[in-house]
Amino acid sequence: MADLVKAAPERLARRGQSRGPVREFLTFTLGADVFGVELARIKEILIPPPVTAVPRAPTDVLGVCSVRGLLVTVVDLKARLRLADRTRSRRARILLAISPNGEAVGLVVDEVRQVVRLTEDDMELASAGLGGEVSEFVLGIGRPQGEFIVLLDLGSVVTG
Amino acid sequence: MADPTDKARDEFLSEAQEIVETLSRNLLDLDTSVRAGSADPGLVNEAFRAVHTLKGLAGLFGAGRLGHLSHRLEDLLDDLRLGRMTLAPEVLDVLFSAVDAYARLLAMAREGSDEPVPAVEELLARLDTLAQHAPGKASPSSDYDLDPGLLAVLTEYEEHRLRANLEQKLGLYRLRVEFDLATIDKALEDLKERAKRHGEIITYLPAGEATSPDAIELDLLMASRDDLATLIGSLGADNVVIEELPRRRSVAGSIAPRGTTGRIPQQQGGESAAPVRAGEASLDQGPSLRSLTQTVRVDIRKLDNLMNVVGELAIVRGMLARLAERLRAEGERRTAADLLRLHRSFDRRLAEMQAGILEVRMVPLGQVFERLARVVRQIGREMGKDIRLVITGAETEIDKLIVEELSDPLMHMIRNAIDHGIEAAARRLEVGKPIAGTIALNAYQKGNHVMIEVEDDGRGIDGDAVVEKAVRLGKLSAEDASELGREEILALVFLPGLSTRGTVDDVSGRGVGMDIVKTNIGRLGGIIDVQSEPGIGTKMTITLPITLAIVSALMVDVAGHTFAIPLSTVSEALSLDAGGTRLLDGREVITLRGTTLPLCRLERVLKLTRPPGQPAAHRNYVVVVSLGNRRLGLVLDHLVGQQDIVIKPLGRSLSTVRGFAGATELGDQRVGLVIDAAAIVDEVLAQSEHREAPVHG
Repeated sequence: MADLVKAAPERLARRGQSRGPVREFLTFTLGADVFGVELARIKEILIPPPVTAVPRAPTDVLGVCSVRGLLVTVVDLKARLRLADRTRSRRARILLAISPNGEAVGLVVDEVRQVVRLTEDDMELASAGLGGEVSEFVLGIGRPQGEFIVLLDLGSVVTG
Repeated sequence: MADPTDKARDEFLSEAQEIVETLSRNLLDLDTSVRAGSADPGLVNEAFRAVHTLKGLAGLFGAGRLGHLSHRLEDLLDDLRLGRMTLAPEVLDVLFSAVDAYARLLAMAREGSDEPVPAVEELLARLDTLAQHAPGKASPSSDYDLDPGLLAVLTEYEEHRLRANLEQKLGLYRLRVEFDLATIDKALEDLKERAKRHGEIITYLPAGEATSPDAIELDLLMASRDDLATLIGSLGADNVVIEELPRRRSVAGSIAPRGTTGRIPQQQGGESAAPVRAGEASLDQGPSLRSLTQTVRVDIRKLDNLMNVVGELAIVRGMLARLAERLRAEGERRTAADLLRLHRSFDRRLAEMQAGILEVRMVPLGQVFERLARVVRQIGREMGKDIRLVITGAETEIDKLIVEELSDPLMHMIRNAIDHGIEAAARRLEVGKPIAGTIALNAYQKGNHVMIEVEDDGRGIDGDAVVEKAVRLGKLSAEDASELGREEILALVFLPGLSTRGTVDDVSGRGVGMDIVKTNIGRLGGIIDVQSEPGIGTKMTITLPITLAIVSALMVDVAGHTFAIPLSTVSEALSLDAGGTRLLDGREVITLRGTTLPLCRLERVLKLTRPPGQPAAHRNYVVVVSLGNRRLGLVLDHLVGQQDIVIKPLGRSLSTVRGFAGATELGDQRVGLVIDAAAIVDEVLAQSEHREAPVHG
């Protein structure tokens, strides 16, 4: 986690009280940490099909698979986020998303958890001054009921 | 789906494109007929109609410049068809440049650009000049003895044709023909075609005396140099009655419609009368709302989608077969048999569907050949060379996508042939060749491939000059050069920067060479070869797959991975015993029928990791891939078999990965990668400088 965000918890707790529009995030785990992506951007959650490795591909690309005729590039999300932990979970799922340039990308996550609804108060967005040391993939931090969710910017994650 | 206005605009653009292509075809025919001695009035009229339709379309879509150009051209063609101006070669030149101007304007409309186009301005200026030189409009003459009732129903053009024919002292005939309404379009065309031998059909009008509601009777006014007996012998039939019209008498009674004033009598009802004179109707009475063709235009991506669905169904088919097998194994023999029957029927229908979709994608090569015919004419005139273009096999069909990509490479080859190949007239006379150089464009199908040959009867390729240039450019050492055979020397023309002429000229220079042609053909899964005899000519042969949608591939295993190699690049496969190779300059090679074949171990070049428990095979296979004149043996573990595959491109994040043309479904939910043989050959043979230490299998 420290790899991605070095935000002081007390600063996050100091957010105001007003409530804004609600955004839905799908949360999942990578290792011990909880991440979220905007639900509307996820087309499908897949049980991992056989993945064909592509020789010479970037190290964070596991290969390609086919989802009912659609060729999907399978990305090891832990590798893309440069997390140290690279173990594969038995409950792994693939989150299918379409990248801005039209590529079907499958993100491998350890375990899918739930959908959380966050108001603006529950979020601290990177653009709103979360601090300089945030990975380009991070949208912000979500804190529903004291939890700590790293919200990912799906667009930049799938573009790599 | 797309915004409806976008869709309408696309429709407009593709329709306009088609009309321009038709116009181009007409002009080429017209060129031929002018050379043969006289301009075919029918062709001038068709060109006029094409431009007229374009003008209408442009008006509907607010394409101002297109409309303006069409308007001016229409005036010119109108003068031509009404005999106010003669069709001189300069006028044809202007018309041909109009085709190019249209292409330019359409391309710009597609991009939504409205920058000024100098070529169009120039063309308009030339049209102005021509218009000024045109004689004043001839007044409609009535110095021949025809009933004014008939003259009233003739269009200006028809009147002109009637007059022209009478001036030539031809006889006038009336053909009363009963047509079946269902087949009238074709039957009328047939009749016109047959009548052409004897003269010209000037006009046709419904007579309104059909014997059944499904039929229509037409009176055709025809001018002919032949006598009545000949016409009856040639055109007469049960439904055709032919009469000669006396020249000095009023013909109105016999030829004019029963209705006294209307051009088209309404006895049959507007519906049935409309198709009869559809061409004129759209010309004189505004565009008809009814579409006259039975065809639809389809975006090729929609066909790709359908093909993907077929691919998915093929997977379902595989699962059905496996389910049937399982049932049989479990003792459910009857159900298994039923299921297998279903599977077979499904299989057949699926194959039909696949063939049907492929058929829709196919278009005749004639489409691109016509464009080339225009280029030949243009370049020939520019260079002052008389060129005869001979086309065979224009009806050969190939995938639409391939046709689109073919026109540039072919155009370049033809430019080369005219510029470098065909000698100047004086030189041709000297060596005893006919002054007109011949360029032959031949297409034919050979198995699953289409062959296209571009052949000229020019001076042939000067091998010494090619070698000298290659050495000068550092592509070849002088020692190596001395060892090359004729075939290898000719293959040098495909190297970048090799053009046997020193100067960059307007026609075929510009730094684009045969290497680009070769790359473009390679991208289509095709190969190009060259044969040339000094003094006799040069022949370039392109071999292309018929379709890009479905590719026959050889499925192979390497280190536990399954790959597909498109058969279009495979020349043969052979087995290779361990230790059957030798080293040449640090590269692993074998000797195949007397020649040295460099090898490439896919396992190493792709850095594949062999799954545990899969030891390297004792015996390997070599798949020989050839691209043009370059050959490479790919060493692999097993040949799995041949399969028709649908290639899907890899995603953008894999666009930097070299060596794969895409991926394909293997049928058991797995995906296999498709080897890009061209890329591997390039990569491996280019590595010659830093060779790796060989490993013996």
